[in-house]
Amino acid sequence: MKTNWNRREFLKNTSAATLAAMAAGAPMTSFLAACNRKKTVDAKADAVILLWMAGGMAHTETFDPKKYTVFEKGLDSNRVLSTFPSFPTALDGISFSEGLQSIGKVMDKGTLIRSYVAADLGHILHSRHQYHWHTGYEPPQTVAAPHIGAWIAKELGPVNPVIPAFIDIGQRFTVGEGEELKAFHTAGFLGNEYGPFLIPDPSSGLDSVRPPVGMSSKRFEKRNQLYNDLISHSPVGEFGSDYQKESLKTSMEQAYILLNSPEAQAFDLSQEPKEIYDVYNTGKFGLGCLMARRLTQQGARFISVTTEYEPFMGWDTHDNGHTRLKDMKKQIDGPVAQLIKDLERTGHLARTIVILASEFSRDMLMEGRPGAKVKDQVDQPDVITDLKNYGMHRHFTDGGSILMFGGGIKKGNAYGKTADERPCKTIEKPIKIDQIHQTIYHALGILGDAHYVVEERPFYTTPDGLGKPVMALFA
Amino acid sequence: MIKTIKNVFSTREGSIITVLILLMCSVNPLLVVDGYAQSLPIAPTETEGFWLWKLLGRLHPSVVHFPVSLLLFAALLELFTLKNFNSKLRPGINVLIAIGALSAVVAAILGYLLSSQEAYGGDILAIHQWTGIATACLGAITSFFLYRVAQRNQLNLVKAYRSVLFFTATGVSVAGHFGGSLTHGSDYLTSVIPGSDDYQGESKSTFSFTSLKGDTARLTPEQEMEINGQVRAVFAHNCYSCHSAEKTKGDLRLDKKRLAFKGGKSGPVIIPGNPGKSELVRRITLPRNHKEAMPSKEKKLTEDEIALISFWIEKGAPWSDAADQKSIFRVAKLAHRVPPLPPATNNLQNPADLWVNEYFKKKQVSWPEAVDERTYLRRIYLDIIGLLPTPAELESFAADNRPDKRARWVRQLLNRNDDYATHWFSFWNDALRNDYTGTGYITKGRFDITNWLYKSLKYNKPYNQFVKELISPNVESKGFISGIKWRGTINASQRTEMQAAQNVAQVFLGLNLKCASCHDSFISDWKLADAYAFANIFADTTLEINRCDKPTGKFANTRILWQELGSIDSTAPTAKKLQQLAENLTQPKNGRLYRTIVNRIWAQMMGRGIVEPVDAMDNEPWSQDLLDWMAADFVKGNYNLKELIYLIATSQTYQLPSVGIKDANKIIAQDYQFAGMLRRRMFAEQFADAVSRVIEPVFPDSAVQYNPYKNAAVEPPQSFFARASLVKNNGFLAALGRPNRETVSTGRDSRANLLQALELTNGDRLNEVLKRGAENWQKKYEKGDVIIKEIYGKALNRHPSPKEFKVANALLGESPSPEAIQDLFWAIVLLPEFQLIY
Repeated sequence: MKTNWNRREFLKNTSAATLAAMAAGAPMTSFLAACNRKKTVDAKADAVILLWMAGGMAHTETFDPKKYTVFEKGLDSNRVLSTFPSFPTALDGISFSEGLQSIGKVMDKGTLIRSYVAADLGHILHSRHQYHWHTGYEPPQTVAAPHIGAWIAKELGPVNPVIPAFIDIGQRFTVGEGEELKAFHTAGFLGNEYGPFLIPDPSSGLDSVRPPVGMSSKRFEKRNQLYNDLISHSPVGEFGSDYQKESLKTSMEQAYILLNSPEAQAFDLSQEPKEIYDVYNTGKFGLGCLMARRLTQQGARFISVTTEYEPFMGWDTHDNGHTRLKDMKKQIDGPVAQLIKDLERTGHLARTIVILASEFSRDMLMEGRPGAKVKDQVDQPDVITDLKNYGMHRHFTDGGSILMFGGGIKKGNAYGKTADERPCKTIEKPIKIDQIHQTIYHALGILGDAHYVVEERPFYTTPDGLGKPVMALFA
Repeated sequence: MIKTIKNVFSTREGSIITVLILLMCSVNPLLVVDGYAQSLPIAPTETEGFWLWKLLGRLHPSVVHFPVSLLLFAALLELFTLKNFNSKLRPGINVLIAIGALSAVVAAILGYLLSSQEAYGGDILAIHQWTGIATACLGAITSFFLYRVAQRNQLNLVKAYRSVLFFTATGVSVAGHFGGSLTHGSDYLTSVIPGSDDYQGESKSTFSFTSLKGDTARLTPEQEMEINGQVRAVFAHNCYSCHSAEKTKGDLRLDKKRLAFKGGKSGPVIIPGNPGKSELVRRITLPRNHKEAMPSKEKKLTEDEIALISFWIEKGAPWSDAADQKSIFRVAKLAHRVPPLPPATNNLQNPADLWVNEYFKKKQVSWPEAVDERTYLRRIYLDIIGLLPTPAELESFAADNRPDKRARWVRQLLNRNDDYATHWFSFWNDALRNDYTGTGYITKGRFDITNWLYKSLKYNKPYNQFVKELISPNVESKGFISGIKWRGTINASQRTEMQAAQNVAQVFLGLNLKCASCHDSFISDWKLADAYAFANIFADTTLEINRCDKPTGKFANTRILWQELGSIDSTAPTAKKLQQLAENLTQPKNGRLYRTIVNRIWAQMMGRGIVEPVDAMDNEPWSQDLLDWMAADFVKGNYNLKELIYLIATSQTYQLPSVGIKDANKIIAQDYQFAGMLRRRMFAEQFADAVSRVIEPVFPDSAVQYNPYKNAAVEPPQSFFARASLVKNNGFLAALGRPNRETVSTGRDSRANLLQALELTNGDRLNEVLKRGAENWQKKYEKGDVIIKEIYGKALNRHPSPKEFKVANALLGESPSPEAIQDLFWAIVLLPEFQLIY
C-alpha cells in the first residue's frame, strides 16, 4: 500500500457513494492507509553500509561493459571501450565485466544503477568529487559540511548504544591529499560527537575498542573503579550538575561499556570461521567488508568501507588500467558478494542498505563531460603500442555505475542506461548525488527537509533540501 | 425509531425537554460558526475538489457538537434513572439518544470528508477518526437497544443498553478531546497548566502594540509605521525563506508592499480591515499538523505574533512606502560611544566592575565573595599563558603579602611573551583559519600566516595595526584574505574575494555576510549587492553579481558596508583599495570593530560574551554600557590586547565564583543573565600542555612545526616543551576539539563525547605518555604516598583529601608499580576537576 496517499486525488477519483460505504466501514484497508498518513516517512532500513570504490571506477570495465577489444600492438585507442570480455549475470540481459562473476551472481538480490552522473566541477579532482559525493555539497563551503554518515548519526543515533553510529573503515589520512580527505571525513557543524570512528586498518581494528594494548581486563576494570572513586571525592562535585561535567562522565561511562562489551568482539575478525574469513581476505577492503558485516549484526548504523584513496593507487588508474583492474576486481568481487549473501542469510539485508559507488567513472579518451575542455589530462596515444596504455585512464563524469542492495531496494532490478558507443554517457534516467543521498535518507525514514540552522542559515541534508528520493529504486 | 420520537412528543415532560434541545441546537451552530470564523472562511481557497464535499466537510466542526452535547446529556440523565428505568425523564432521554446517535453518524461522515479535503494528518487525526467512528457505531447500537427495550419491552436488555450508552459517552468525550487537539493544537489545554511540559508561561509580549489596542481611533502615522515594522519583522523571520525574491512558493511574496497585497496563486491574502477574511490569518491560525498551516517548516507563530498580524490587518494593514526602507532587524549602532563611568565605590575601582555593579543593582543581585587564591591563580595561568601553575608558583603566590598581588601576578604572566603568544595562538589560528596543514596547501591555493601571527602576539601588536596588516597584507600576512582556492569551478559565493569579504565581516566585525553573498539576506538587511560591493574591494576586477550561483549580468559598485566609514576608490589597484579599507575600518569611530574584539576576549575569559553569538554583534548585549565602555577604553589605550586582558583579569567580576550551566544551548540564549564566569572545559591544547607539564611531554620536540626559538638570539627556556599549538593537528587534538581550520571558527564545543572518551581511554598517544611518565616517576619518587601528593599538587594544585588519599593509596601501596602509577595518572587527568577551568 502506498504510504503517500494524496488525499485530494483520492477524493477526486472516488464517488460520494463509495465514500459513504467507506465511512460505514467497507473497504477498511485502503481507508486505513489513507488515515494513517504520518509526517515522518516510515523507515525501510536501519543501517547503511557504503562500499567506496575510491579513485574513480570505470563503469565500462566493471558493471556496465561495452564492446570488448582485445589488446594488440597498434590498436586504435578510439576503438577501445572495454578491455575485458563480459559475462551474463543473474539479471536478465545484464552482463558484467570479467572478474566480477561472484557479484554478478547476487544481482538478483539488488538493483544495478547504470546512470550515475557526477557533478561538473570544472576540473576533475578526486578530492573535490569525493567531498561532493560524501557530503552532497561542493567544496568549498562557508561552513564545514557533514559527511552523510554524520547526518545519519545525528538524526538516528546508534542502533546499539555501544557501537559508534558512524564507523569509517580502511582510510588512512597520512596519504597524499590526506588533508583533502579529512575535510569531508567529518561531522562538520554537527559537532565531533557525530564524526567518524576511524578504523584505518580492519586487521587491527580490535585495538580501537579494547583496553589499551598490554592492559588486562582486570586492570582496566580497576582503573575505571579508581576513576569513579576519585570523581566521587573530588570537590568539583560540589558544583553540582553542569553540562561539561555530565557529558564527560557520561562519555567516559559509554567508552568503558564499549571497551568492555561483548559487542566489541565484532571488531575481532579472528573469531570468524576460517572458510568465511578466507573468502573475505582479499586485502584491507575485503576484511573491511567482513568487519562491516560483523558490526551490522551487532547493531551498527552507518559504516563506510573503502578500497582506500591514495593518489594514483587503487581505482585511480592513470596507467596500466587493464592490468591493475584485474587486481582491483579480485579485491572486491568475493567479499562484496559474500557480504550480501551473509547479510541475507542472517536476515539483516532486509533492513540494511548496502551501496557500492565511486566518485566518478573513467574512459580511455574522454576527460570530464563530453564536449568539456578539461586540463591536466592523462596522455593517451592515438595508437596503443604498450600494454600500459591499455586501460581507462581519464576521468569521466557523465556516466557511472552504482549497486544497491537491501533496505527496501528492489531486487533483480536494473535502472538507467549508458550509450554503447563513445562517449558512453548516461542516456536514460540520469541520477545525481542529491538523489542518491535522499534515497538513502528516505529508506532510513529521515525527512527530506531535515535541516539545522547554522550561523542563522538553514543547512539541509541535501543542498537547499531539494534532493528527491528515487522511488523507482524501492520495491 | 420514528414511533419512539412520536411517543416522546406525546408526553408533557417530553415536550419540555424537546423544546430545550431544539433551543440548544439552534444556538449551538451559531456559537460554533462564530468560533471558527477565522479558520473556516466560506470562500474556497483551492481550485481542486468538488466544492460541495468541501462545504460538507467544513460543517463537521459544527455538527459534532450535537452528538457531544446530546449523548453526554443523555448519559447524565440516565444516571438519574438507574433505579427506575421508566422515570419521567425516559421520553427525554430517548429523544436525546435518537438525535444524538443520528448526528454522530452524520458527523463521522462529514468528518471523513473534512479530513480528506483538508489533508490533516498525524497520530491525533488517526485517534480522533477511529474514536469518532466507534462512537457513531456505539451510538447506533445504543439506539437499537433502547428501541428494543422501550418499544418491545425486552427489559433483559436494559443493562446492555446502559453499558453501551456509557461507552458511547466515553467515546464521544475522547473523540471530542482529540478533535479539539487537532483544531487548537495538542498543547491547547496543557499549555496553561503551570508545571506542564507544554506550559508557555504568561505570554511574554515582545510587541508594544497592545498599548495601542484599546484605541479605537485611527493610528497615528508613527504608530502605523511602528506596527508595520513589527509585522514585517515577523514576516522576515518566519516567512521570507519561502515567500521572498529568492523563493516564491505559491507565487506569494511578502517582502514587498505591492506583491504582499497582490497575494499569491489563490488570490489576495491580506484583506485590509478584515482579518477574518484574510487567507494569511487563516493559514497562520490553522493547527500545526494541517497541511495548509503556515509557516510550514518553522515553528508556529506565537499568539502575540498572530494577534499582532490580525490587529495590523484590522487597522487596515498600513504599509507606508517609507517603511520599506526601515530596518526590521535589530541593528547595533556603529559609532564609538563612551558612556560616563559610574563613580568608584569603596570596594570597586575597576571600571568593568563599576558597570557590572550597575547591572547587578538593576537585577538586584549582590556581589558574591571572590574566589580563593588557588582558584584564581589556576584561572589566570590557564587564561593568560595556557599552563597550570606549578606547586612552587602556588606557594610563592600564597606567600606574597602585597595587597595588590593578584594584579601583579597577572602583569607578570602577561609579560611572559612567548608563553602568552603560544597560548593565544590557538584562539587566533581558529579565527583566522590558519594551520600548518589543511586543504589548499598542496596546490598553493592557500598561504599560512604562522610566523606573522606568532610575532604579532609576542610583541603585542596594537590591534588596529594587527587588523590593518591582515586586510592590507604583506607577504607574511596575506594568507587570511587570500582564502582557500580549490581547483576547478566553484560556487560564486565561494570565490576567494567573497571568502575575504565573509571572513573579514565575521571575524573583525561580528557580521554574518554569508547569506547575503548568495542572495538578499533574510536574517538581516544586507543585500546581495552589499556583499558584492564589499567583495569588490578585494577583487582585481569588478565582480559580476551571481544570485544563488547564477550570473545576473549586474555589477555592484565598490564600497564598505557602512558608508559612514568612508569610501573606496573603485578605480584604484587592489592593493590601494585594501589600504583604504584597512584605514577606514580601523578608525576609532568604527565602534563595531572594537566592540567585536572586546567581546571575543571577554568570551574567552568569561565563558560567554557580553553579546552572543560572538559573531552576531547586532544582538543585544547584556550590558551595552560595559561593552561600549570597554571598547572605548581599548581604543583610548592604544588598542592594547594585553591591557584588555589585564583589565578583565584584575576585575572583581572575573574573580566571582564560576557558574555552571545545565544545558549548553542556554549559553547563547538572549535572556541570559550574567552572574559570573561560566565554567569551561580546557581547550585541546591546554589539556595536552597540562599533561605535558605535569607528567610527561605529549609531543616530542621533533613534532614542533613552528619553533619560535629557531634563529632567535635567545636560547629557549629550560622549561620549553613541544606545546600543542605548535604541532600539526592530529587525531588526539582533533578528538579533543581542535578544529579542522578550513573555515573560520570562533568557539569550541565544551561538551565531551564518546569519540573523545575513547581516544582518552584507549588511544595510543595518551597511554604511551602516561606509561613513560609513570616509569620516570617511579624512579624519581619511589614511594606511593609521595607520588600521590606530587600528582595532586601538580595536576590539581591542592593536597589530596584523606578520602582521596586512601583510595589512591589502596592502589599504589608503599612501592607502587609503574602500572599502578600510570592508572592513577589516567584517573587524575580525566577528572572533571582537572579538565575544567572553574
